[in-house]
Amino acid sequence: MKLEVNGVVREVSPSPVESLADTLRDRLHLTGTKVACGRGECGVCTVLLDGRPVYACLTITNACVGLPVTTIEGVGTPDALHPVQRAFIDHDAVQCGFCTPGQVMSAIALLRGNASPDDSDIRRSMSGNLCRCGTYPRIAAAIRAVANGQETARGD
Amino acid sequence: MATERQRRFLTTTIEVEGREETKVVEMPDRELEPWGPDANLAVVGKAVPRVDAVEKVTGTATYASDVSLPGMLQAVIVRSTIAKGRAASVDLEAARRLPGVVDAMLYGDLPRLSKPIRTGGATLFDPEISYASQPLAVVCAETMAQARAAARAVRIRYEPSPAVVTASQALAAQAPKVRARGNVSRSSPAVESRGDVDRGLAEAEVVIRGRYRTPSALHSALEPHGAVAVWAGDRLTIHEGTQGVFMVRDDVASALELPKGSVRVLMEHMGGGFGAKNHAGAHTFVAALLSRRTGHPVRCVLDRHAEQTDTGHRAPAVMDVVLGATRTGRLTAIVVEAVVNQGVSGWEASPGKIFHELYACPNVRTTETFVYTNTHAMAAFRAPGHAEGAFALERAMDELAQAVGVDPLDLRLLNHADHDQEKSRPYSGGTLRPCLEAVAKRFGWAERAVRSTGGGRAEMVKESAELGATFPAGGGPRFRRGNGIAAQIWPAGGGPPAYATVRIHPDGSVDVLTGTQDLGTGSRTVLAQVAAEALGARLADVRVILGDTERTPYTGNSWGSMTTPSVAPAVRMAAEDARDHLLEAAAEMLGCAPTDLTTRDGLVSRCDGSTPTPISDVTARLGHLTIMGHGSRGPNTSGIGLMTFGAQCAEVEVDTWTGRVRVLRIVAVHDVGRVLNPLLARSQLEGGILQGLGLALFEERVLDERSGVPLNAGLHEYKIPTMADVPAIDASCLEAVDVRANPVGARGLAEPPLIPTAPAIANAVADALGIPVRELPLTPWRVLAAIEQGGGPAA
Repeated sequence: MKLEVNGVVREVSPSPVESLADTLRDRLHLTGTKVACGRGECGVCTVLLDGRPVYACLTITNACVGLPVTTIEGVGTPDALHPVQRAFIDHDAVQCGFCTPGQVMSAIALLRGNASPDDSDIRRSMSGNLCRCGTYPRIAAAIRAVANGQETARGD
Repeated sequence: MATERQRRFLTTTIEVEGREETKVVEMPDRELEPWGPDANLAVVGKAVPRVDAVEKVTGTATYASDVSLPGMLQAVIVRSTIAKGRAASVDLEAARRLPGVVDAMLYGDLPRLSKPIRTGGATLFDPEISYASQPLAVVCAETMAQARAAARAVRIRYEPSPAVVTASQALAAQAPKVRARGNVSRSSPAVESRGDVDRGLAEAEVVIRGRYRTPSALHSALEPHGAVAVWAGDRLTIHEGTQGVFMVRDDVASALELPKGSVRVLMEHMGGGFGAKNHAGAHTFVAALLSRRTGHPVRCVLDRHAEQTDTGHRAPAVMDVVLGATRTGRLTAIVVEAVVNQGVSGWEASPGKIFHELYACPNVRTTETFVYTNTHAMAAFRAPGHAEGAFALERAMDELAQAVGVDPLDLRLLNHADHDQEKSRPYSGGTLRPCLEAVAKRFGWAERAVRSTGGGRAEMVKESAELGATFPAGGGPRFRRGNGIAAQIWPAGGGPPAYATVRIHPDGSVDVLTGTQDLGTGSRTVLAQVAAEALGARLADVRVILGDTERTPYTGNSWGSMTTPSVAPAVRMAAEDARDHLLEAAAEMLGCAPTDLTTRDGLVSRCDGSTPTPISDVTARLGHLTIMGHGSRGPNTSGIGLMTFGAQCAEVEVDTWTGRVRVLRIVAVHDVGRVLNPLLARSQLEGGILQGLGLALFEERVLDERSGVPLNAGLHEYKIPTMADVPAIDASCLEAVDVRANPVGARGLAEPPLIPTAPAIANAVADALGIPVRELPLTPWRVLAAIEQGGGPAA
């Protein structure tokens, strides 16, 4: 099948039960998408499918045909960070970093649908992304900063 | 006879996770002048972003499970579904025939070694089963999907026998034996005592008694345990997400009977440890063994079920506490009897220790019984023992405060310990009192006392009558607010051995090599700051290379809040050593004496600031003559106690109809010595507080009490805090540079913030309801049960 990932169409041959997370990590070597539970409990593997956040571990790759996938690798690079990534750095919304790619993807999805989320919007939208280091207050601060226009992309 | 300074090797004592160890230490070649409170520092103490933040937000940071090698196979461990009994047969044949399967192993396939491989309190693949989830076999295949399918195809015939699941089952007269020696540890009952508690109780005018319980909490790091192993001839390389690369190396070398120098363990990033990733595990051993058998690299990463059932837990404790006090609340005696359910094995994390340390009391006796059960082994979990003990002690203190009619803050100030009572020695710097005073001020504790009314001190939010409903057990307002305070003490002075090397490349860029780990705590960043400061380099020019047993010098595990106070002084020494070499080289070029020169912000200049020259200009002229520096951690000063202090206040709202507790805000003030990076320190404080909030309200491993089978081995069923549970948090550290602790002035910060959170929340819930709260976590049903037993919330 043809799978569009980060704007590039890739040819992959997933098994019928293969998850998008496995395809991304094992076939396409896009290991920025992490897997922590493999069963839709933690949000660590969040990617955007046709612009909407999904758990890649519960998404069947075959069902992604015709739907563009965006992973953390497609969001920004060290030289051209996405404003959400910039804000995560500035607000220290990162500890061990394992949940961070999924948090960034969910934050981007939230801000695309709602440019000025209030605290309860942030709580509701981000509560499907677990963080065991307890970085939540910093993540919320980073999202608020982007919404308030305090963060802009650098290297653009 | 050699003088103290001339002897290279000396004996000292250090504290690890509350345990005291005597070690031989090496006296460093140079002595560092401590960075005092007024030191003019350019990089240390600044809120700079994490040096690895860009990698982490762009998904380029590499974790063990991201390591992918050509021809790599995937291994899945097959685990017992019963807690006690025997695997009468383990049949791998059907699994072996499945597509992609390359190898499989059970007990009889393990190499013949002089002693069996032990992990998690059991012998690897032992058919004798002593806990649910115990490894029985392993399969490996070309893909993860194939390996999972093969694991499902393994046929096991079990012969179950009765399991011992709870501590009380283990201590029952006719209980089956969990271990050959019996169901209590060899050291049990472990008695620690000072003074005369009988006299202290006789003198007491008020005596408080209570039984307090803390749950088995699971670390639940989001990165599961995992290893990738590959052999090159007789040399084994292991990529592992671990808190101790050298510990894993030693475990593997010892178990597989290999020279330590033949085993290389390395790690770039790890996704959280919290105490559960200190050792090699079954996944490490099977990856190494399968790799040797198949000739392929092998990856073994646990699935979530295994992660939640076989990687350690906070050992549940039942603590009977007696406090004796004068009428005014001064403690005269503390007596504690604790029973701790270790699971099938584990080290003895003392819930009693904090009773000896936190408050002044001449007469203290703790008796601890560590019990074995057919449940998976405990492991250190962020402030092991202290977090459990703090809940019991701080709840009991509040019950005492109520009995003597003294404000909980005043009771704690009255019983303030101004020195280390166990060792009759002063603290290196700071005490609890400034933390209590500062937290009370920031929280508005005095204001709360004015606002509160009656025994329950509840703020009425909405009257049940107003809502047209009646609370079943008493009426009154449905939502109750309460406030609580609690404190902590934790040894976090670190100690030797720790080594570091600094080298400056011809272009002026700097490498810091040290064998520690960054668990997500920010070690990599603060060590870069320390190196930049001591060398006078720009932070952007410093790269910290960690966690590689072959290429970085030894440091110990990242545990016990020890990394910063252990490793930062070694890094500082290495950087100063390199700076001295650099200045000698620069002096030669500039035609002056090294003592005429100084470095700061990447420039070498004369002490009056003139003729600034970039460090890179000096090193470029040296070519490949390399400026290098070496540093090591010197011993701790004897005769002082190296402790951290802290206090937290919590405000909660309890829904007395549903039992739901909402934490509204937490204020925390800690004394951890110098804060090397306030941005990262705040993150770590908030993270500890949120794990403490989980312990207070949600987290509890649930086992079937008859079979011992885990019932909530996932992140839905075992609830950790989410974004939606976060209260307002105001967390800070006192300005408290500790020049007596070490030359950097910092103590540890990882564990302290977790300790007071759950007790402060529980005290606030008790305050809201006006009834005792003695068991964690405060889940809705438990809160409702407490209300029922207490005859309804006090008015």
